[in-house]
Amino acid sequence: MAGKSERKRKVALEEIVMISAVMIAGFALQFFSGPFDKRFLAFPVNVILIAMLLLIFFMKKGGGLSRMASGSLSVTLLAAMTIAALWMGLVPGNMVKISWPFVLLYLLVLVNLTAIIALKIKSFSVGQIPFMLNHAGLLILLLAAGPGSADKARYFMTVAEGTTEWRGEPSGSREGANVVELPIAVELKDFSMEEYPPRLGIVDKTTGEAMPAGKPLFYESVVGASFFIDRWEIAVDSVLDKYRYAPAAYVRVKETGSGELNEGWVSCGNYFQHFKILDLDDRLCVAMTFPEPKAYRSEVKVFTPDGDVKNGIIEVNSPMTMKSWKIYQFSYDTQKGRDSEHSIFELVYDPWVIPSYIGFILMLFGAVTLFWKGGRR
Amino acid sequence: MSWNEFVYFAIASLLLWSLGSVLLYTKKSPVAAIVSIIGGIIVFAAFIAGLWAGQGHPPLRTMGETRLWYSFFIAIVGFVTYLHWKYKWIMAYSVVVSGVFVFVNLLKPEIHTTNLMPALQSPWFVPHVTVYILSYALLGAATIASFIAIRELKKGEQRLMPLIDNLVYIGLGFLMMGMLMGALWAKEAWGDFWSWDPKEVWAFITAAAYLVYIHARLINYKLKYLLWLLPIAFILLMITWIGVNYLPAAQGSIHVY
Repeated sequence: MAGKSERKRKVALEEIVMISAVMIAGFALQFFSGPFDKRFLAFPVNVILIAMLLLIFFMKKGGGLSRMASGSLSVTLLAAMTIAALWMGLVPGNMVKISWPFVLLYLLVLVNLTAIIALKIKSFSVGQIPFMLNHAGLLILLLAAGPGSADKARYFMTVAEGTTEWRGEPSGSREGANVVELPIAVELKDFSMEEYPPRLGIVDKTTGEAMPAGKPLFYESVVGASFFIDRWEIAVDSVLDKYRYAPAAYVRVKETGSGELNEGWVSCGNYFQHFKILDLDDRLCVAMTFPEPKAYRSEVKVFTPDGDVKNGIIEVNSPMTMKSWKIYQFSYDTQKGRDSEHSIFELVYDPWVIPSYIGFILMLFGAVTLFWKGGRR
Repeated sequence: MSWNEFVYFAIASLLLWSLGSVLLYTKKSPVAAIVSIIGGIIVFAAFIAGLWAGQGHPPLRTMGETRLWYSFFIAIVGFVTYLHWKYKWIMAYSVVVSGVFVFVNLLKPEIHTTNLMPALQSPWFVPHVTVYILSYALLGAATIASFIAIRELKKGEQRLMPLIDNLVYIGLGFLMMGMLMGALWAKEAWGDFWSWDPKEVWAFITAAAYLVYIHARLINYKLKYLLWLLPIAFILLMITWIGVNYLPAAQGSIHVY
């Protein structure tokens, strides 16, 4: 027994030395060649990398494979990953995720993970299904979302109502802000938006501060609403909400001490109309906030050069999928708000999205096995 | 039905759940306890259904409404976990956590009117947050158990190790679900599964720390050192949950609220 634990300690020590050596190499690369450029991994490099990893599956069960698949290596790599992430989470403005040491660490994790799967699959049994779901799912995900993501491209596209657009402005890691023609076109039939009712509050005109100072209160401007702010009772008599015109409310205000009454229109204003306040005294007035967006959506028709056509509605949290593209509702003309006559989309091209989802599904089932099986071995 | 009636339903449910938990410990047969707990679940579900009908839309929009679901789910999952594992204390623990969220809702009702921005209006919102909170609850229990185990270890006892391992596995299972659902949601919202947002970085740190524990257990690391990992991992978890908002590296996070 003593001999065995002695050997284990020796192996663990060798692994720590090996990881340290790789990390030092990473820091050296970082020092001499600057941060890692993800575009290096773009197709076909990522596919070659994956093919090389898959070669591990053909290795014979024995010294080399067991060393790569070692559990103590997993623990050390996980600990190293935790430390790298702590750096990421604690040091402002760090570049850990595109640094060479981190990329090499990620690569070592891929090797370790592939090797343990390759080792276990050689003597597969039903009892290993939870292990496989968790580990194969993670490996697929790490490949698709890691090296695979180098093939990802994002573009912004602004489309006016009633027109069709196929040019996009690249964003993110792809260089330049030059507009490019895309193999996908979007026709915007209609942009529409719902807003929450704007809110009313009492504001100090000299400071711009809302009352009560330090703990401001705002209430929704809806017909029939009645509320107190400090010593004023405010009642909303009627509201206006028409195309082009700014939202407005007719309010009656009663000072509870003196019984003094004030009434009039209050509006937050918009691109078309000036705002309007109701003065209570020299310093304080009733004012309205801009309405907050509740939902906005674009009714679109999407085309590809191959003749695919898709009609639908795109909104936040509900993109449209067209082959390897996903089209997201990104923004609109914020000056005009609900009257915006154009919509801004973000188009994401990701040919690795299907493998990613496979990885997710495996891992979700894997998570279920974790809390069903618990810590039983 | 509206939030005005919440207090009656919530108190009734909490009383039934508490009674059920007490019965689990005092009675030999668990039947009465199980009936009482299911009764509490039905009362709570009736309020959610009534609120849904009364508002005309599912109550999934405001922070208060998400807390309503936590209180509900935590009790159910505690109950199901009890049925499966026969840990009585997990039921009692779930009732306490559920009660905390009920009382936050009763004491801070102004949050009910908060406008939910479009990005948060997603069917992923509630499950994503709920399973995280549940996993925090389980891993919190593992931390408490680890302190007891560290003390017992000096007497050579390892009585609590199966329990601790179970809690960490179950907690990690929920943690992974929260993370995976968050990633799927992120893809639907802005096209990336993962973008190393500060909250994501810390969620990763937390998960990685518990993965170190699980893997180190599998290769039989010395418990004397390994058990200390659980309190450390829980500190990291607390930073993820509460501390991130205050970190200088976290300014501009999409998860700050």
